[in-house]
Amino acid sequence: MQPAGPSEHHKDLLGDYQQKATGRGPSDQAGVFDELLAQGRPRAHWQHLLEELGTLGADVLAARSEEAQNLLHENGVTFNPYEDDPGQLRSWRLDCVPWVISTQEWAQLERGLQQRSRLLALLLDDLYGERKVIHQGLLPPELVYTHPGFLFSAADTPSQISRPLLIFHGTDVIRDATGQWQVLGDWTQSPSGVGYALENRITLARALPGMYREAPLKRLAGFLQAQHRCLASLSRGRREHPNIVLLTPGPGSPGYFEHAWLANYMNFALVEGDDLVVRDGQVSVRTLGGLDQVDVILRHINDPWCDPLELRPDSLLGVPGLLQAARNGEVHIANALGSGVLEHPALAAFLPALSRYLLGEELILPCRETFWCGDADNLATIRQSLDEWIIRDITKPGKVFRVDQLGLEAAQQLRYDLTARPHLFTAQKSLQTSVTPGFNPLTRQIERQSTTLRFFSQVEPDDIHLEIADQRYRVMPGGLAWVGDPGSALSKSRVVKDIWVLADSPQPHISMLRQAHGPILVTRDGKDLPCRVAESLFWLGRYGERLDIRSRLLRESLAKLLQEDPQLGNTTLLPDLMTALGVAPDPEELPELLAAISPNQRFSREYILARDRMLGLLSDDDAFGLPGVFQNFVRNSRAVRDHLGDDSWRAINNLRQRCNALSRAKGLVAGQRALESVVIDLAAFFGLCNETMPHHYGWRFLDIGRFIERLLGTLELLKLALLTAKQPGIPLWEVVLATTDNFTVYRRRFRSQLHPSAILDLLLFDETNPRSIGYMFKRLQRQVSRLPSHGSSSYRNLENRLIIQATSALHLVDINMLADLEHSETAREALNNLLDELIAPMAALSNAISHSHFSHVEAPRQLVTMNVSPGLDTPVTEQLRTEQNQLSGRRAGR
Amino acid sequence: MIYRIRHLTRYDYSGPATLSHNESRMLPRELPWQQCLSSSFSITPVPVRLRERIDFFGNRVAYFSTESVHSSLEVVVSSEVQTRARPAQDIFSTIGWEDAIADVAGALKSGNRDSIDARLFMLESPYIRHQQALARYAEGCFGVGRDLRDALMCLNQRIFDEFTYDAEVTTTATPVLDVLASKRGVCQDFAHLMIGCIRALGLPARYVSGYMETLPAPGQEKLLGADATHAWVAAFIPGWGWLELDPTNGCLPDERYIVLGWGRDYADVTPLKGVMTGGGDHELTVEVDVVAVNDPLTSGNDLNFGK
Repeated sequence: MQPAGPSEHHKDLLGDYQQKATGRGPSDQAGVFDELLAQGRPRAHWQHLLEELGTLGADVLAARSEEAQNLLHENGVTFNPYEDDPGQLRSWRLDCVPWVISTQEWAQLERGLQQRSRLLALLLDDLYGERKVIHQGLLPPELVYTHPGFLFSAADTPSQISRPLLIFHGTDVIRDATGQWQVLGDWTQSPSGVGYALENRITLARALPGMYREAPLKRLAGFLQAQHRCLASLSRGRREHPNIVLLTPGPGSPGYFEHAWLANYMNFALVEGDDLVVRDGQVSVRTLGGLDQVDVILRHINDPWCDPLELRPDSLLGVPGLLQAARNGEVHIANALGSGVLEHPALAAFLPALSRYLLGEELILPCRETFWCGDADNLATIRQSLDEWIIRDITKPGKVFRVDQLGLEAAQQLRYDLTARPHLFTAQKSLQTSVTPGFNPLTRQIERQSTTLRFFSQVEPDDIHLEIADQRYRVMPGGLAWVGDPGSALSKSRVVKDIWVLADSPQPHISMLRQAHGPILVTRDGKDLPCRVAESLFWLGRYGERLDIRSRLLRESLAKLLQEDPQLGNTTLLPDLMTALGVAPDPEELPELLAAISPNQRFSREYILARDRMLGLLSDDDAFGLPGVFQNFVRNSRAVRDHLGDDSWRAINNLRQRCNALSRAKGLVAGQRALESVVIDLAAFFGLCNETMPHHYGWRFLDIGRFIERLLGTLELLKLALLTAKQPGIPLWEVVLATTDNFTVYRRRFRSQLHPSAILDLLLFDETNPRSIGYMFKRLQRQVSRLPSHGSSSYRNLENRLIIQATSALHLVDINMLADLEHSETAREALNNLLDELIAPMAALSNAISHSHFSHVEAPRQLVTMNVSPGLDTPVTEQLRTEQNQLSGRRAGR
Repeated sequence: MIYRIRHLTRYDYSGPATLSHNESRMLPRELPWQQCLSSSFSITPVPVRLRERIDFFGNRVAYFSTESVHSSLEVVVSSEVQTRARPAQDIFSTIGWEDAIADVAGALKSGNRDSIDARLFMLESPYIRHQQALARYAEGCFGVGRDLRDALMCLNQRIFDEFTYDAEVTTTATPVLDVLASKRGVCQDFAHLMIGCIRALGLPARYVSGYMETLPAPGQEKLLGADATHAWVAAFIPGWGWLELDPTNGCLPDERYIVLGWGRDYADVTPLKGVMTGGGDHELTVEVDVVAVNDPLTSGNDLNFGK
């Protein structure tokens, strides 16, 4: 058999695709524009790529797809609101076949996108300025003023310094079934996706280096640098190095990954509303060192939520007084507050006329055909054939109605609303896109897909201070494409694609590793660390250590369960272990609980109760269960996403899988194994933190959190084992030694004889043992004394005094007093006193640190509470409601 | 007439507040028949910033922030305002209410700028939704072909006659339909109700916030709404302008009415808004004194401000 020539390789990949295209398959797509093929043959601009793909072959492509998938997973690339809900967790698949645009086509498309940005910028300026387009009847007032993105408070003073500017602009585009470009909508507040587009390019370039290295495609690097320059030049004349922050709604937000990614890439502090405060007209970040003035805010919070004083009063995400600060030019916000009105779905119907009026040009890129129901003729047509239309409510962004998919009642309500408030609705026909090729790693073939594309444009950095009419826009030569029904949301898609814009000649591959770009990194972990980040790192340490202690203790408890005689009851260690784990039953309820258990030949009721309670910890979501502790751990880790290294983040992703697997562990042995994995992965995480985080304030808070938790956990365990246990003695001491991972050390030092005072020496006094109380005090003292101090008092602060107090109690104790614990009541009392003297200051230390260093932001409160009817004016989108809830949940979680 | 106005608002907090941002709409705006001779703020504790601007509706807004720890916030606005009679209300051309609806509805085609601008005030607003019950309530006054002004005055009188002024029953946020059902409320409620009725018919109406002279003329009953801010309505009459109506007192505002500002409803002209950190619960005190300077009853005496 003759080997196929290089240009024939791709035929195997294309088999089915080509058959359908030539009408030999199902013919529903006959006549639909095909991106890849024309008359059954590949289009010229696909030739090169097809050959590359064909040379690689289906097997290699499948393997590389998986590799790309792993890279995405490890980097935690996701875009979904269910991050903390393991059942809903998913991430994208990245198609290794990109969307390809030829050089000629791009020139036309680019011109259209630039024109659209210029048009929208002028429209924005007019809407918040003279409002000529309204007064002259080009835009009906009821269309503009009912949109939640039109901010009356941003429109008040025509001469104000900060007129809303359109700096960044995202445009969703499809190619329709006839091959024409159509614009579906715009993103004008904080277009998301630039980060994903770059991350996708980086990932694919790593997975398919050969295909990418010499490809004649335009490179994306440079676009984000220009974005940085835009932002920096916004605050012209203020400071040489403006302080730029990225404002995010927080880890509960679906775009949080990208916010953290961008903040890292561009070296901006990632802040939440709580981190910012307006004082003396200035916007500042609350940091460990005090207030740090902010010059520019790159905001990723939607308009109505940014300022509870002038915008939505119920917002917990915003910053009171922000709009006033922007109005006075004390801070620059990109995009400016108020730009959301450009996302208005009904604008599509008016843009051609607006383009002639504002630009004197015909619109280059047509919009998807859209009818505004506020027009009586439109409404009449639409009402006649309502089930053919896709209806949008302009006050509920993203919400789409189709009468045939609504219940009877909802359909009736929609008909009523259309009559009563027609100006709040738009109608569109359904869409068909062109056919795009995509590689399916399961069938190992190239298949036919429907794809939506998002492009990004921004003001030329040098033009930012020009008159709006003179500003030019640049378009990123690439973007983000996703597979799904035409017009479906990016966040709902499961497959994303890179977009290739072909260049005339091969372009050198520029490394886009994030370290290589951006201005020189000045460490951000100094005193300018936001208080909230310090606090989250502290709690990350505490929850991580708590997970560790509880996992170890549970592992040892399960081991004891295996060793115990299952027919015995209260004479065993089990009640003590349940106490240590916090799952001991209330003595009053115990008889009832036991009666409810059906005993059998092999197991006593007491044994079954203990076993069920302990195994329950593997799946309980409450404060005691390991999944519950892990959720708190991961929530804090996400809040400091931009302060953890990539490897640490991979460790967390592994840990997530381990913890998800816990509840599936059936039986004692499987439980033990699963817990062991958790312990090892946690050690990997903390090890990576120690090795990769700069040993600055952020790391210190993490470490302090860990060691306070470990101290308290160890002290409680010692107290139980040596003093309060029902069944004290060697078996319980063994548990203590194993839990603290000191069994081997002990045996080497003391042979096999277990003796309380030897345990005490090892766990309390031996400062060379990292698990001993003495060592932990030393470490805490070192860390706490290096925290930033406020004021210049020459006296020791409370935190240092507490550590000295506890350390002294330990050093001054008379060891001889503690001897003979088993027989001497005096010795037991002395130990009890000692442990209490150690526990109390450590519990107080946590509060003292919190008091001195963390911001104590109470949710801002309204002077006048207005019960504005919900759903009106500025509706709560489900998404933001969730974010607000998660935000408040995290506050409560501490 | 020249009036001296003293408007005190005080919040007493149960705990210390550390930071508060505030926005006030308590400065009288300039109008052809109203001139603000002077106005000044006295705020305790002294604010760090005090900035005045003009909002979307043309109202005067003052922003201030207080940054010292405080347990009460007191804002006193003292202004002196000269008012004259409103533009003659009896000589404008008559227009039937149905024609008025057609005029506003067709404004985009006719290009009449005043009518285009008025359309904002036909829309639903945070406190006032379109309700068929409101249109039904107004129907009795809006007979076929009736002159718009007559119909509006009829509605104004009807609300005055059928509703009871009762400061006990409502807070600022009473839903309009509750007011319609209970037939009780305060000036804000009646203004919201009447605006709702007018808008439900398809006509523009706006909410006016201000004060009125509190001393009754000899032999007349004391008007309601004294010792507090007052609120009334302005309805759009195509080709003429905005006609003010006061459903709380069943009359047309005259030179005894001082306008602070207007908007779609109370939310646009809330006299004092604020967001603070800390503070706990708070207790509100409002005192308003409106004194006619050249009124024979008070002229020559020291102005009796406060209580």
